[in-house]
Amino acid sequence: MFISGFGYILGETLKGLYRNRWMCITSTGVVAVMLLMLGVFMLINLNIGHITDTVKEQVEIVVYIDDQADEATLSELHRMLSEHHAVAEVRYVSSGEHMERLQRQLGGMLEGYDTSLDNPLLASYEIRTVVPEEVVAMAAEFETYPGVSTVFYGQGYVENLFAVTRVLQMVGLALMAGLSITAVFLISHTIKLTVMMRNKEIAIMKYVGATNWFIRWPFLLEGLLLGFAGAVLPIVALYYIYQFSVDWVIANNLVFLNLLPVQLVIVELAKYLVPLGTGLGVLGSTFSMGRFLKV
Amino acid sequence: MAKISTILELCKICTGRSDCMVEAKNMCMKYEKGGRFALENINFFIDRGEFVFFVGSSGAGKSTLLKLIIRELRPSDGTLKVFNRDISRLPRHRLPYLRRNIGMVFQDFRLMEERTAYDNVAFAMIVIGASRKEIRKRIPHVLGLVGLQEKAKARVCDLSGGEQQRVSLARAIANRPALIIADEPTGNLDPGTALDIMNLLRSINMRGTTIMVATHNRDIVDRFKKRVLYLENGKLVGDEQKGIYTNVH
Ligand SMILES: Nc1ncnc2c1ncn2[C@@H]1O[C@H](COP(=O)(O)OP(=O)(O)OP(=O)(O)O)[C@@H](O)[C@H]1O
Ligand SMILES: [Mg+2]
Repeated sequence: MFISGFGYILGETLKGLYRNRWMCITSTGVVAVMLLMLGVFMLINLNIGHITDTVKEQVEIVVYIDDQADEATLSELHRMLSEHHAVAEVRYVSSGEHMERLQRQLGGMLEGYDTSLDNPLLASYEIRTVVPEEVVAMAAEFETYPGVSTVFYGQGYVENLFAVTRVLQMVGLALMAGLSITAVFLISHTIKLTVMMRNKEIAIMKYVGATNWFIRWPFLLEGLLLGFAGAVLPIVALYYIYQFSVDWVIANNLVFLNLLPVQLVIVELAKYLVPLGTGLGVLGSTFSMGRFLKV
Repeated sequence: MAKISTILELCKICTGRSDCMVEAKNMCMKYEKGGRFALENINFFIDRGEFVFFVGSSGAGKSTLLKLIIRELRPSDGTLKVFNRDISRLPRHRLPYLRRNIGMVFQDFRLMEERTAYDNVAFAMIVIGASRKEIRKRIPHVLGLVGLQEKAKARVCDLSGGEQQRVSLARAIANRPALIIADEPTGNLDPGTALDIMNLLRSINMRGTTIMVATHNRDIVDRFKKRVLYLENGKLVGDEQKGIYTNVH
């Protein structure tokens, strides 16, 4: 039974898709566009998450030491910082060490400049925290400690990163909700057209004893294929777009933009986009049938 | 070949038992609420293995009666039993299984016009879950029985009315149903082909299949000497074994 029945159903599905090809292309297109947007948001989100994580792993608060402070104040400051409950690690970085780092970052631009003579950079304590989210409050507290010049925690940077992620998520969600509804509507409309074109045939099928499921399958499959195609297209597109971005970042030496590897990201995307696309397709097709099957 | 229908007949006489294929009790049918009766107070019983003609002038209610049996319509009153089951109470999901046991030749054929004769018959077999091999073997045979083996690959819309009618019959007999209902199966056929088709139905009947035929074909009814039910303006006005076309009463 399954062989001839399945072959028939598959054949019907493909025929339905072909007869209705323009509507199919449109609805697949909408699914593809919407999943493409979702994909872009996911890529950005994943990478922001990744960058935030990297930032977290690095030094979180830099306490610059007032160069007028005396030995006693300094040791008091070191003690207070080390004993703070939320501090995981305190490391002293001399002004000479800062200069060396700067030279490395600038890639030899300061060649020949005698740093030992006149070093404008302040020595600092670099601090890693136990709870990264408390960075802002801790920085404010450290400002009040004796012998502190300024406290740096990537003012704005960390907060902005979190805020941007949140806004992106909101906008993304709203857009996607709208697009999902459009996609479901279009798919159901596409399939309704096939159903209507085959209304007479469906009635005949019922007179010779076809069950509702037998009649439904080709339409469900049709929706599923539309949704699946709508998911695969953006994944392929995103693969190339992302590969290009990664290459661009590397080519331009933007090392601080530490992007995730392509393979990993695409697999992650596929895990969401494929079920979502096919799900939307199947949902669309179930909406289109119902009342047509009552004979 | 021994006539199985005759043997069945004998068995029934011996055992005093009969099998209800179709039974109507005080059955009424109205197309519109408050409208006139298309069928009024119909009572009859059709046993397994019978061959029954339904005759009556155009608009008498023959097609209505046959459509009730496959539950294309529901009686508005009374009961109708098919295969000994009250079909007005048949749950929707059981309906396909009722129809799989009935081969119906519709007055308007109801074929998938864009498809070939072969596909139309094949579809009825696919639906009941016949294997590919079975289908490939059976279809040329049944198309041969109705004299259409050459037309297997022709699209239905390219066939003549009589040919379409025979495709419809081929589809009805393909699954060897227990009950065959034919609404005007010879309406578009010349007398010779009509007789061939009716002889085919008779030979299927001899193997035990119950057959119900609505027809205006006086010649065939008179020649066959089978049971005849007479309908007139929605009423059953006669029921005769070995009847003839014209109702005498
Ligand atoms: N769908 C319908 N809606 C309303 N009335 C209908 C419908 N179908 C049939 N009728 C009416 O019911 C009556 C019986 O029709 P039916 O088709 O059963 O006649 P019939 O005996 O098959 O006639 P014919 O020999 O011409 O096929 C007719 O008066 C017809 O007008
Ligand atoms: Mg009729």
